[in-house]
Amino acid sequence: MSDEEHHFESKADAGASKTYPQQAGTIRKNGYIVIKGRPCKVVEVSTSKTGKHGHAKCHFVGIDIFNAKKLEDIVPSSHNCDVPHVTRTDYQLIDISEDGFVSLLTENGNTKDDLRLPTDESLLAPIKDGFAEGKDLVVSVMCSMGEEQICALKDIGPK
Amino acid sequence: MQGFPGPLPDLAQLQSTMVAIERACSLIQMHMNPAEAEKIINPLRQSSMPYQTCRFILENSEVPNARFQAAGAIGDAAIREWGMLTNENRKSLILFCLHYVMEHASAADAYVQLKVSAVAAQLVKRGWFDFIEAEKIGILIEVKQAILGFHGSDMQSAGISFLESLVSEFSPGTSTGMGLPKDYHEQCHSSMELNYLKEFYCWAKSAALNVADKIVSCYANISEEKVCSRALRFMFQVLNWNFKSSPSALDNSSSKSNSGSFGIRPDMGLLKKFERSLVEPGPLWHDALLSSGHMLWLLNFYAIVRQKHSSDMLWFDSPLAVSARQLIVQLCSLTGTIFPSDDGEMHIKHLTQILSAVIEWVEPPNIISGALRSGRSESEMIDGFHALLSMATLTGTMLFDNLLRSLRPFGTIHLLATLTCEVVQTYVIKNDDEQTWSSEALDIMLEIWTVILGRSGNDMKISAEGISSASNLFSTIVESHLKAAAESAFEDDSEADYFHVSVSRRDETLYAYALIARAAVETTVPFLTRLFSERFALLSQNNERMDPTQTLEELYWLLLITGHVLTDSGEGETVLVPEAIQDGFSGVTEELQHPVIVLSWSIISFAKQSLDPKMRNAYFSPRLMEAVIWFLARWVDTYLMPIDAAKGQLGISGHDEGLQQHPQSSKKVLLSFAGQHSQGETILDTIIRISMTTLTSYPGENELQALTCWKLLVVLVRRRHVCIHLVALESWRDLARAFANERTLFSLNARLQRSLAETLVCAASSFKDLETSNQYVRDLMGPMTAYLVDISSRNDLKAVAQQADAIYMVVSCLLERLRGASRATQPRTQKSIFEMGCAVMNSLLTLLELYKNQSTVVYLILKFVVDFVEGEVAFLSAKETSILVNFCLQLLRIYSSHNIGKISLSLSTSLQSEAQTEKYKDLRALLQLLTNICSKDLVDFSSFSDEAESTDIAEVIYVGLHIVTPLISLELLKYPKLSCDYFALISHLLEVYPEKVAQLNKEAFDHIVRTLDFGVCHQDVDIVDKCLRAVNALASYHYKEKIAGKEGLGAKAMSSEESNGEFQQSILSYFLRLLIQLLLYQDFRMELAGSAADALFPLVLCEQDLYQRLVQEILEKQSNPAIKTRLASAFYALTSTNQLSSSLDRNNRFRFRKNLQVFLIEVSGFMRII
Repeated sequence: MSDEEHHFESKADAGASKTYPQQAGTIRKNGYIVIKGRPCKVVEVSTSKTGKHGHAKCHFVGIDIFNAKKLEDIVPSSHNCDVPHVTRTDYQLIDISEDGFVSLLTENGNTKDDLRLPTDESLLAPIKDGFAEGKDLVVSVMCSMGEEQICALKDIGPK
Repeated sequence: MQGFPGPLPDLAQLQSTMVAIERACSLIQMHMNPAEAEKIINPLRQSSMPYQTCRFILENSEVPNARFQAAGAIGDAAIREWGMLTNENRKSLILFCLHYVMEHASAADAYVQLKVSAVAAQLVKRGWFDFIEAEKIGILIEVKQAILGFHGSDMQSAGISFLESLVSEFSPGTSTGMGLPKDYHEQCHSSMELNYLKEFYCWAKSAALNVADKIVSCYANISEEKVCSRALRFMFQVLNWNFKSSPSALDNSSSKSNSGSFGIRPDMGLLKKFERSLVEPGPLWHDALLSSGHMLWLLNFYAIVRQKHSSDMLWFDSPLAVSARQLIVQLCSLTGTIFPSDDGEMHIKHLTQILSAVIEWVEPPNIISGALRSGRSESEMIDGFHALLSMATLTGTMLFDNLLRSLRPFGTIHLLATLTCEVVQTYVIKNDDEQTWSSEALDIMLEIWTVILGRSGNDMKISAEGISSASNLFSTIVESHLKAAAESAFEDDSEADYFHVSVSRRDETLYAYALIARAAVETTVPFLTRLFSERFALLSQNNERMDPTQTLEELYWLLLITGHVLTDSGEGETVLVPEAIQDGFSGVTEELQHPVIVLSWSIISFAKQSLDPKMRNAYFSPRLMEAVIWFLARWVDTYLMPIDAAKGQLGISGHDEGLQQHPQSSKKVLLSFAGQHSQGETILDTIIRISMTTLTSYPGENELQALTCWKLLVVLVRRRHVCIHLVALESWRDLARAFANERTLFSLNARLQRSLAETLVCAASSFKDLETSNQYVRDLMGPMTAYLVDISSRNDLKAVAQQADAIYMVVSCLLERLRGASRATQPRTQKSIFEMGCAVMNSLLTLLELYKNQSTVVYLILKFVVDFVEGEVAFLSAKETSILVNFCLQLLRIYSSHNIGKISLSLSTSLQSEAQTEKYKDLRALLQLLTNICSKDLVDFSSFSDEAESTDIAEVIYVGLHIVTPLISLELLKYPKLSCDYFALISHLLEVYPEKVAQLNKEAFDHIVRTLDFGVCHQDVDIVDKCLRAVNALASYHYKEKIAGKEGLGAKAMSSEESNGEFQQSILSYFLRLLIQLLLYQDFRMELAGSAADALFPLVLCEQDLYQRLVQEILEKQSNPAIKTRLASAFYALTSTNQLSSSLDRNNRFRFRKNLQVFLIEVSGFMRII
């Protein structure tokens, strides 16, 4: 496996890049893809050919993971697509400030205070309500291409 | 009218009800507020004894819809209250309906009359066994008089339409449910068939005869023509009856033994494709259908009327023409004991007679299709084809061919070929939207060919004339399709999606073409070779000047048809060389002269060209390559190293040594040219190299690669003696090496990785000794496990893990491969696969922790473990089992700790539902995991069991359930597959280990009970059934334990405090109440009666007191005294008849089942609405 080892090392340093290339034909439903500069989750893939004896092309339907807009793209299936790095980090919720920011506890004991609460009421309500009820909440923060958003919520409850 | 049931309300009340109903009906018709309208109409249908009101509406209302509703209400109420009506009441209701229909025979709004007559038919059927014979005759005599024309032609039509309703009511397929067991419908069915059906047929026949003369001489008015077409339609309906009484078992055996001698053969089911069936009415019908000249009359009648209307293009679709033709076609399907045993003479005469008439409908083919193009309706021709199909089904191929010879100088097969040519030519043009008939016609034509050519042995001898017709037909087919292919070559493949749907349909068509080709192998195979070589040569000479697309498309189509001609599709069976190809070419003894071998070689050498990069880029488009791979897969399966090529198959037909000399040698040549000792290995090598090429040189062509992995490679490892050669080949080792150590194959899509791993591991079965097999797997999978372990033990793992491309991608690939390998587990490789799994256990737990937010990775891990456990669990020793089980429990715990109580937040509803779906898939995998572990208790192959170390599987499962059940919300149980898996597991557990339930903690137990409660009220019959079984298990366990003086479910059965405090009763009494509620007041499905009885019985035994109280409660609620007494006696009978005792043995359960069924029939009808 020396071949992969090498590849793996070289990429470990290139952490700064926001996306990486992947062959369009291997991107599946539920994977991620960049369409028109936005990170999307793929909800539909179909393939067809350019002319009967041409090469395959993939038709992607993606949903922007932050603003939920629907985007579409067609790519020859042997070409590379940009795939966004999407990470999710769990933090314990310490506080919700009045100006709409949250205060989060990181794993090494620091606090993270630069994250805004979502503005949409449907996302906001469970966080606010849970916090008001005094539950111990852990939030998952999804981060991709320089944007961040709370994407999940978990009650770890009083032990 | 005497005996009309129900109290008569005063006139004002009747008026007001009528007005209300009329208003409601007009609301419905204008689509305004239908819910409101229903609220008014439903009470009428559900009220008790609404007959007088309904009658008033029927007789007085001006609104047809209101009359329609009133008729429906009579039917509903009478069926429901049948038990409470007197015989007088019942009869008067039926007669009222009948008279109403007769009196209003000529009225507008025919649907009202139809409804009323349907209601009458329903009631007649409901009372079929309550009325004595004289009463039935009394009712039917009026119908008979009407049909025979005593009261004019309108009454005639009305009478026939009543018979139509009656017959369809008595056919089980179209009858209305009456809350009665299936048995009742069956009895009605056979009683009708024995006593009345033929008589009805004869009435309709005389009605038709009555008016036929007038129609022929053009004096008939419209209503008389209507009578005639209705009568014919009714006769057709009668012949569609599913005749049971004819002793078809006896009949089959006798005609089978005869089929060789005179060629009549009953092939049941072959007509099913077009929703038609053979007609087997039995000897009693002989006089009505055959000896009375009925057939001749009908044919002449149609011919004369047709002649008269020959200039009228629309006439072919008129009701009279359609129903007459339908009846003729149906009479053509007549078979069985209705024909005397005279060596089929009568039957053949019958068929020839029909053929002589039907041939006018289809001949001459070119004139007919010309007429169709200029706008004539195709219905007559299609009916003619159907008649031919019936004949082909009923006769042997030889007889079928000869049927026409008394009428024409050629055989039927020649006619068929000419017709098919015409149809195919029209079909491939397809430009014109209006010519959709060609596809229907082609379907029937090909079905006829499939019927006559798809037989084996003596039944399928074709004359020389037939063979040459088939050969010509095949040439026409291929040429027209090649032309169409060339023309469509430049069309953009925008129909890709549509194409996928129609693949199986296309294959069916090609299969039929192939049968035609095989009927004349001597000419068609060389013909295909010539066409193929021409196209191939065209490409080689091309020098890249000309656009090859048209030729590529032609080659594509040729590959498909050749594949079908040379091979059968197999589909899970052992594929043999098609008989026609084995037996053909009797003169050939040289390998290089055998046409099939020549054709095979020319295609293989064509495929080999794809290995040359220059050729590949220029000509081997992905689509063409798909056809090549598909062809090779089928070809390999059939011709490469065929099983026992030397002995087995030849032994079968080696009876007449002298005669079979030549065929044998040609067969031998065919079967051995790609054999183990011949060129088999070279071909195998070529094919592996071609597969490698498609996997590496066609990046992103998923379809092509999928075909390679799923069809071709799978076929290569299917047979062990091929595998032996396979693993010895350098090219196969290259493939394995590339898979294990190189990156090139990582670019394949994940599912193909899995299948590739599975295939490669499968090949291990070929090694003679165990150790070599296992070593082969270790060499193959070792690098994967080493790499996974390496990743998971890195110090900086956390930092790099999220770098999707570096690890995430590779990790997914590796997991898919592990999963593929474990799916290929076989007894001989089980050891090495288990080692593989053990090696990565810790890494998997680390990765699960790490990738808890990457749902795809989590799912892959779970699915791998599911497949791993499934493959391994039966073989493991006690110690290994405990390793595996501990690992699984750890996995469950980690998964649960990450996911319990988690809510995902997303703006997009579709992403939200995706998240829900992911969760559902995870949980389903977890349940499968538990189910798989469960199977250890049922199937265990481990050689030695060590009591001390053995794991209690039941306990493990319950611990697992503890972890998993909190994750399963009622919301998630709405996914059908998940709930099916869940309830299957629960009911299995409760049935097999009820004692463990007692040990569950309260929360877990409550959760299980809550889900059962949910399941019992589910829509899906399967799930309800499973839940009832679970309840049965719980209650039975408790009852038996209590009898034995033990605790049983103990505290859990005593009281279960719901958090909301709604029911503070024991689980068992809760279910008792629920079940009785279900049985009495809801739309209970009779097919569940058995399992409901099984669940109810132990519950009643456990909770005797409560049961008595419940019964009292129900009885007291009942205000109507008549119902009350009926109910009370039904309840009494439920528990006291049939020598029911209070033990839970099999006999007793069986008795209770019977009692409950009687109970349900007795009461469920009228309880539902109260």
